[in-house]
Amino acid sequence: MGVITDKLPGVLEPLPGGSVLVTAVDQLINWSRSNSLWPLTFGTSCCAIEVMMATGAARHDLARFGAEVARPSPRQADLLVIAGTIVKRMAPRLRTLYEQMAEPRYVMATGSCAICGGPFMYHSYTTIRGADEIIPVDVYVPGCPPRPEAFFYGLLTLQKMIKEGESIRHPGERRRPVLAALPEGMTLDDIRKEMQDLLSHDANVTMADAVADGAHYSAELKDF
Amino acid sequence: MDAPNLIAAVQALQPDATVRAQSDRPTLIVPAHALVALATQLRDDPDLRFDLLETHTAIDWLEEDRFELLYLLTSVPHGHHLTLSVSIDRDAPLVPTVCQVWPIAEWLEREAYDLFGILYDDHPDLRRLFLEDDWVGFPLRKDYEDDFMLERPE
Repeated sequence: MGVITDKLPGVLEPLPGGSVLVTAVDQLINWSRSNSLWPLTFGTSCCAIEVMMATGAARHDLARFGAEVARPSPRQADLLVIAGTIVKRMAPRLRTLYEQMAEPRYVMATGSCAICGGPFMYHSYTTIRGADEIIPVDVYVPGCPPRPEAFFYGLLTLQKMIKEGESIRHPGERRRPVLAALPEGMTLDDIRKEMQDLLSHDANVTMADAVADGAHYSAELKDF
Repeated sequence: MDAPNLIAAVQALQPDATVRAQSDRPTLIVPAHALVALATQLRDDPDLRFDLLETHTAIDWLEEDRFELLYLLTSVPHGHHLTLSVSIDRDAPLVPTVCQVWPIAEWLEREAYDLFGILYDDHPDLRRLFLEDDWVGFPLRKDYEDDFMLERPE
């Protein structure tokens, strides 16, 4: 990937129509990056139970979004989910982990503690008031701890940011952080529908598609 | 051994020990100079056998100008519990260590030193446990303040 992202724009751009080609390559790279986010196994308190265990387990199934391959080494990870309270003594270690990750690297701050210090904001001698005092954060997911649905909303927001906001013309530049709170009036059914729509765009085959696609199925299936 | 018998048995060993009011489990107030001798007897006495120091912590009584040190003891063979309470001067918080009696006390006392600044006489390795080595002050003291802390706005 390094060779492609470093050398390709310089090779393609001078060609006639090369600019269009770079955009197409952008889309391909962003698509693959956003659908293969490898999170770092990093949790400092209760949010880690929600984010790493509940979302990763079968019921909520983080694997649907390609982000289930938790890596114990920052060298192999490209998504840092700050799940939990960051204290003064942890802060330099967190910074080190972030610096060790290869670019492009993404950071999600989940839960009140990682966003602003949460319940430990006042009268605490050691809690850092927000992980963004140490490292840049791309997506904030509020909650104490956030539900798996809220975490997925944050993950989908990050995927959207990656798909829309990056170009190999300007590596490292990204769109501004987004607060991934659920909008007012959004219900669980809306979330389910959005996920359903999202999944159906991928490799899912619907009955109508299958019939329209070729001669493998009889036309009677259309009645379904 | 039930609570009244336990208290009577310990007071027979150490007549200076008095019962602490308002305690959930049998608690005896012990003078600091008698702590190590009593702790050794509690561990070795065949009827008491307090072989486990469950935890050790401190309370900062700021108004009364003293630290109260608590030693929560359990006897695994007999299944009974006892708490020892030692009060020491807040300005000179020096107390003998019980490392030689219960080795786990080494780390528990390091924690109490780290957060309350209590000094343990004869402790083999009195360093900070949780905070950075260059930390200034003892944050669980009631009068602790630093620049980092944020006051809640009214």
